[in-house]
Amino acid sequence: MSEPRSVYPFTALVGQDRMRLALELNAVNPSVGGVLIRGQKGTAKSTAVRALARLLPEIQVIRGCRYGCDPLSEPLCLECQQRRAEGEELVSEPRRMRVVELPINASEDRVVGSIDLEAAIHAGQRRFQPGVLAEANRQILYVDEVNLLDDHIVDVLLDAAAMGVNVVEREGISVWHPARFILVGTMNPEEGDLRPQLLDRFGLCVDVEGISDLSERVEIVLRREAFEEDPEGFQAAWAEAEDRLRVQIAEAMALLPQVEVGRPVLEAIARLSIALDVDGHRADLVGRKAAQALAALRGGRSAGIAEVAEVAPMVLSHRVRSHPGQRSPDVAEVASRVLGEA
Amino acid sequence: MSVTAVAPARRRGPGFLQVVGQDRMKLALLLAAVDPLIGGVLIRGERGTAKSTLARALAAVLPPREVVAGCRFHCQPSEGDLCQECRRRSQGGVPLPLEIVPTGLVELPLGATEDRVVGSLDLEFALNSGEVRFQPGVLAEANGQVLYVDEVNLLDHHLVDVLLDAAASGRNVVEREGVSASHPSHFILIGTMNPEEGELRPQLLDRFGLCVDVVGLRDPEQRVRVMESDLGATDPTNADESLRLQLIAARRRLPEVEVSRNLIRVAARMAVDQRVVGHRADLVMVRAARALAALRPGASAEVRPAGLQDLMEVSELALVHRRRVAGSWVPTMAEGVADQQTGAPAPGGDPESTQGGEGEEAGAGEAGEGGQSSSPGTAAEATSGQAGPMPAPPSANVELEERYEAGRLQLPHERRRRRGSGRRSRTSSQDRRGRYVSSRWQERTTDLALDATLRAAAPHQVERRGTAPAGDGRAIQLERQDLRQKVRQRRIGNLIVFLVDASASMDAEQRMDATRSAILALLREAYVRRDRVAMISFAGRSARVALRPTSSVDLAERQLSRLAVGGTTPLTHGLVAALDLILAERRRDQDVLPLLVLISDGRGNISLRGDEPLREAQAAAAEIHRARIHTVVIDTSRDHLPLTPTPGGPQLAGYHFNACADLSRRLGGEYFALFDVTEQGILRPVAEALRRGT
Repeated sequence: MSEPRSVYPFTALVGQDRMRLALELNAVNPSVGGVLIRGQKGTAKSTAVRALARLLPEIQVIRGCRYGCDPLSEPLCLECQQRRAEGEELVSEPRRMRVVELPINASEDRVVGSIDLEAAIHAGQRRFQPGVLAEANRQILYVDEVNLLDDHIVDVLLDAAAMGVNVVEREGISVWHPARFILVGTMNPEEGDLRPQLLDRFGLCVDVEGISDLSERVEIVLRREAFEEDPEGFQAAWAEAEDRLRVQIAEAMALLPQVEVGRPVLEAIARLSIALDVDGHRADLVGRKAAQALAALRGGRSAGIAEVAEVAPMVLSHRVRSHPGQRSPDVAEVASRVLGEA
Repeated sequence: MSVTAVAPARRRGPGFLQVVGQDRMKLALLLAAVDPLIGGVLIRGERGTAKSTLARALAAVLPPREVVAGCRFHCQPSEGDLCQECRRRSQGGVPLPLEIVPTGLVELPLGATEDRVVGSLDLEFALNSGEVRFQPGVLAEANGQVLYVDEVNLLDHHLVDVLLDAAASGRNVVEREGVSASHPSHFILIGTMNPEEGELRPQLLDRFGLCVDVVGLRDPEQRVRVMESDLGATDPTNADESLRLQLIAARRRLPEVEVSRNLIRVAARMAVDQRVVGHRADLVMVRAARALAALRPGASAEVRPAGLQDLMEVSELALVHRRRVAGSWVPTMAEGVADQQTGAPAPGGDPESTQGGEGEEAGAGEAGEGGQSSSPGTAAEATSGQAGPMPAPPSANVELEERYEAGRLQLPHERRRRRGSGRRSRTSSQDRRGRYVSSRWQERTTDLALDATLRAAAPHQVERRGTAPAGDGRAIQLERQDLRQKVRQRRIGNLIVFLVDASASMDAEQRMDATRSAILALLREAYVRRDRVAMISFAGRSARVALRPTSSVDLAERQLSRLAVGGTTPLTHGLVAALDLILAERRRDQDVLPLLVLISDGRGNISLRGDEPLREAQAAAAEIHRARIHTVVIDTSRDHLPLTPTPGGPQLAGYHFNACADLSRRLGGEYFALFDVTEQGILRPVAEALRRGT
């Protein structure tokens, strides 16, 4: 659950631009809704996710809150509401964002939380012991091999991801608490598919492949070795690049609310979804947010067709339905055609 | 900790009226709110269509209710149904104190355990006083409110039973853990589901008064509005507040809305025409029409009687999920095939209500046509830009069934006994995997249900403390008889192994192509059930695993793209390879449910162990049978020989009797003869075998 002390710098990653961009967009606007990274083992998926957390600005949390409540956002969790009702003045403190990992063999009680064993045995009290979903509130929830997750765990995960709240009615416990997180999952498609319902919950999806460029491959090995030999020294060497990106992300977050998405652009997004016959409206909503975040990241004040085209494959590739006997449409190709008309 | 499931504000969602479009869904929800007796709403549809958003937003527009102050079950005297505690209080002749409270939405999460749903022993109270007291659960909390179940089709069977019980009787009766309680539980049941993820059990389906099928908006203009409304932070309260007032007024009008006998006749007529199951549809239609008349009063807000227009507008909401399954195998079987074990279909009875909940969608064609022909001239029905009720996607099996039926051969041998109740993919699991649903006492506890154990021990604590040795600091004295075992349930997928004859013959290519597309089709559906598929082909002098067990469409597509055909028929090699593969999988997971599908003419001509090919194959078949592997044999020979050889009878490829049927008998499997091997021809017996439970 805890991260290794020395984290490989995000900016020192070689290649995998789509994956990095998808993660950065989520950093700028968490409501983009997470990333699913599809690809084989050993393509720096986990490294990138952990490294991302280092680039995120600190968040304000209520001191002593088990769920890390946002002092500026109502409603607070039950415990904070209670504390406030009892007249306590809630103090906030800064906290760094973390990557909370959901192991695929996790049991349901550990994920949603359960009755507190110690309190029950020693004090005879029925108290709630928060689980991974509580820990993940306002953090990055990372599920490696998400397609191998047990079905009923997927169900509760979906529930929480959809609502931003974890409702617990089990083992004599009845509570709810906020559970908003950036869902990042990785999977190897050869080991099985993901249920479409869960697939749709990931805002973006990128396919990563091993890099075939020889010089880049060499560079990867060299950097990795340098990092393992002297993590601190390596981090120091990359500190400047990291700082630059950190500032870029922070500035983009500040700029984001001012980035405009004009009506013609929204229409183009809608037409693209219709052309690809995707289910529901989530693709549209994510498409707008992602294009907006991209514009902000580049320092622009408005998102245009170019931004939409750039994020389209990430937004749509996992939402296109495959029909028996038919090849799935090529998202990039359809995008360039539909958006070309706009 | 006290029960605090419903806090004043749990989340900020958009207002009810801020949701763009989806007028049918809104109408259904509002009608259910006007008259709770309609029986709730089921919302079915693809992902990302504001189903949950709208259902949750309903809470903000619900009229407040009058409840007994301090009652733990939110008794509403106006309902004429009181809990035991309120009844006792009111016996003294003192009027019960009342208060007006807002009506909200109580959520039943998928991960809920039974004790929290029905309620259970109050642990802390028992510990401190040694007395047994009931602690209300979700069904108590929901009394007089909306009970909302997101992804209702994924709810555990166990919980569905409990829910059905309460919904049908309006009461929650608890007899467990030494607690005996009963309280009213009237709620508006609202469920949302994505049919892609699996179907709803027929009993539960029927329990929902109304049903709406939603689709995403297809108009760019409206989609843009969805995006814009997602942006905007306009205050929902104003519009919703006026809607709430409308609902209050509608509820007040409701008892005065007249429904003519004639209108009831029309409703009954519609139900008959539409071949619905049961009588609930008529009732619901009439109630919904009345609610609509109350919701939309005449000029200057006067009460008007419910009319034909009202009925037409609401009828589809009550009919869509109750139409008899059209054209699928269920009625076909009941009506046509005499030798089925089920009796004649009871009109109005439950439609083949097996536990599996595999009920199929209403056949699309018929549903669509019926809807139009019965409601002529109801232009008013198109209340929104949305196309009318969406016909369910046609079940792929339906159309080809008749064609298929022709090729089916019934073997003269004894019918296989069918095991189980059709819950093929659900089993109680013993190995601590799966979802914890409830608890029980058992001789040796291996998977402790702590909460239940504590509740079992709690009432005895005061007494036990008295006898405990001094200085024992434990707060709880547990004894052996207190221990409770967790009951878990787990979905288990099937392993479907296709064993395909790739030897040279006229239709070898076709056989491979059909199998390949059948596999892909199965895999596309597999995520619902967690099934895995494997394929072994045999030709020349060996069998080859063409596809290892997988649930990946990607992988199957790639690996099955090139399948060589030609050569002799090493049938035994194939059978042995299939057995090996299944046994290996079984070693890994003993709960795996294998189904072997043999597609061949059964005329092996290559020896594996030096014996006669036929005898070898028969021996291998018997071995597979002994390993209790369910099999389906699809005979692809175009010439059908009699099962027992007749002297001087025809002889084909060295065989003078139906080797395939013989093999099937030795496998203890089911035999199907296909004159024309198609994807559907393969899929259907497989689907049927899976449905019955392998």
